[in-house]
Amino acid sequence: MPADTTTGASAAGVIHDLGYRGYDGPRLGRAQITRALAWHSFRSAFGFGRGAKAKILPVITFVAMCLPAVANAIAMAQGNQQLVGYSAYQPVLRDLVMMIFVAVQAPELVSRDLRSRVLPLYFARPIKTGDYPLAKYLGFTAACAVMIEVPLLLLYGGSVVSVHGGAAVWDQTKALLPGLLAGLMWAVVLAAISLFLASLTGRRAFATGAVAIFFLGTYTLAEILLQVENHAGPGPGPGPQKPGPGQSAAFLAPPVPMAEKISGLFSPFTLFDGVRMWLGGPRTTVAENVLYPGGFGAVYALVLIIALAACLAGLFARYRKARLS
Amino acid sequence: MTSPPRADAGDSAVIETAALSKVYPGGPGGVTALDGLTVHFAPGITGLIGANGAGKSTLIKILLGLLVPTKGMAKVFGRDCVKDGMSIRQIVGYMPEHDCLPGDVSATEFVTHMGRMSGLPATAARERAAESLRHVGLHEERYRQIGTYSTGMKQRVKLAQALVGDPRLLLLDEPTNGLDPAGRNAMLELIAKIGEEFGISIVVASHLLGEIERICDQLVAIEAGRLLRADTMDSFTKASQTLVVEVEDGLARLADELTRRGLKPRAYQRSLLVPIGGDDTYDAVRDSVADLGLPLSRLERRRHQVEELFRDDADGTGMTLEAADAG
Repeated sequence: MPADTTTGASAAGVIHDLGYRGYDGPRLGRAQITRALAWHSFRSAFGFGRGAKAKILPVITFVAMCLPAVANAIAMAQGNQQLVGYSAYQPVLRDLVMMIFVAVQAPELVSRDLRSRVLPLYFARPIKTGDYPLAKYLGFTAACAVMIEVPLLLLYGGSVVSVHGGAAVWDQTKALLPGLLAGLMWAVVLAAISLFLASLTGRRAFATGAVAIFFLGTYTLAEILLQVENHAGPGPGPGPQKPGPGQSAAFLAPPVPMAEKISGLFSPFTLFDGVRMWLGGPRTTVAENVLYPGGFGAVYALVLIIALAACLAGLFARYRKARLS
Repeated sequence: MTSPPRADAGDSAVIETAALSKVYPGGPGGVTALDGLTVHFAPGITGLIGANGAGKSTLIKILLGLLVPTKGMAKVFGRDCVKDGMSIRQIVGYMPEHDCLPGDVSATEFVTHMGRMSGLPATAARERAAESLRHVGLHEERYRQIGTYSTGMKQRVKLAQALVGDPRLLLLDEPTNGLDPAGRNAMLELIAKIGEEFGISIVVASHLLGEIERICDQLVAIEAGRLLRADTMDSFTKASQTLVVEVEDGLARLADELTRRGLKPRAYQRSLLVPIGGDDTYDAVRDSVADLGLPLSRLERRRHQVEELFRDDADGTGMTLEAADAG
């Protein structure tokens, strides 16, 4: 019986004291608990703390994201030019891989907890209701940032070892920094959209479907509209050729028609590229991608910020409601 | 047996409410879950009794500071539930009624994580998780995924996660839900052990009074959000002692005979309920049965009948609490 061992506990060397012992050590505050939850969420975005199965997809997507950087490093080591840029990286690959990553891993962070109905246990802890979505968001943003930024850093590392002279290294660094900032923008927005969509249902398959359909659908929509505009052509087309404020910079290429700029509003990925170029990043020339929006880029930025704010508001509202149910 | 005092047990009231009301929006005038509840819970194990929908879970959510009452006041260890919800949640462990466990992690990982969420540093969380799981009786199986557990083991994990933060008060909502009789007994013994040996005050919410009455020091009964009665267990059981007499046939004759001897038998299903006045009640029943030569098939002191006290006006219909048993 436990009672017997505890009564004579102070006697010499009682090994198995089975009585209950309280905890008198330090207790973490709300901010530290939130940080612990954010770290936990970050780890689970990559399947850490779960079985091997949970790590398959994060590993595959991460490796896929890093492949261009590795290929570039090898090519440059053999004396070739830099193949991959910091600003857009490999656009199609990056769009696709990030879509898959957030569609599968955002539900891992939020839908799972909804499904297992573990939320009341979190709310009964010494944190506030909003701390839970905040921690999830911070953790997932960090995870998305790792997915996007680590390949850029690899790219940088692989390039720097092949260039010679301080100036060349400095050029690489100057090119890297805007790329990192753009990557951060991706992470911040992608995490918000995907977590909000995933938090709407506890069914993981539905959540993955919702996130995937949203990103693929909007992406396809924007691309189709861009293609339509490309076919209409920049020639003597009947498109409304408003003299936008971006005209001054557009002396090399024919002005981008307004309808095409509007097409870029429909997908987060075209918005990312548009905002990046509007902020002064290198301009893409690939026809499938959104083109330099000029002053219209401010509208892109505005739409992106509104989408971000709406998704975050929706995410927090979701958990305020969950607390009361 | 009362709990050994914890270092900072302090005030005698663990929970206090005054004119506590909660009206949920919806319907004409809203849905009233709590209606002017004034009650106080002493340290020890308290049974919070009420049918489903009586307001038990609403009360628990208010005590945890998760719901704001429409009117009135609630305090836990003297801390206001509206203003100090967070400091209350630091010293209170909560075990919800429903399933709340992810299936794809081990109990150790889960309880450790919940310990972190209770504010324990990483090392302490691991130690206390191991200890809590041991206290609830999960040993080697704690490294297995929770999805492979039986209902009884899951209930133990739920209890362990409530215990991991070393709370001063445990709020257990229907802890025996879904368990078979043996599992129920084991869970109740565990709760009694935690209350008595660990010195943690416990509120056990249940709609099955008969089940939890034996581990409680006191009972608080609520109905439709109102206090029905709050008292110590002793005063409840003293007044509630009833003898169940079952005979193969001749029930009516036995009833007449008992009435003639000054007892007040009441027919209930295929038996008679006889209020126990003292030791002579047993003698009277024995003699009656013997005199009539009836085949006695059952004679025992009845448990689980405290609920009759809650409805002393209703005759034999005081079964709503038990009838409300849901699967």
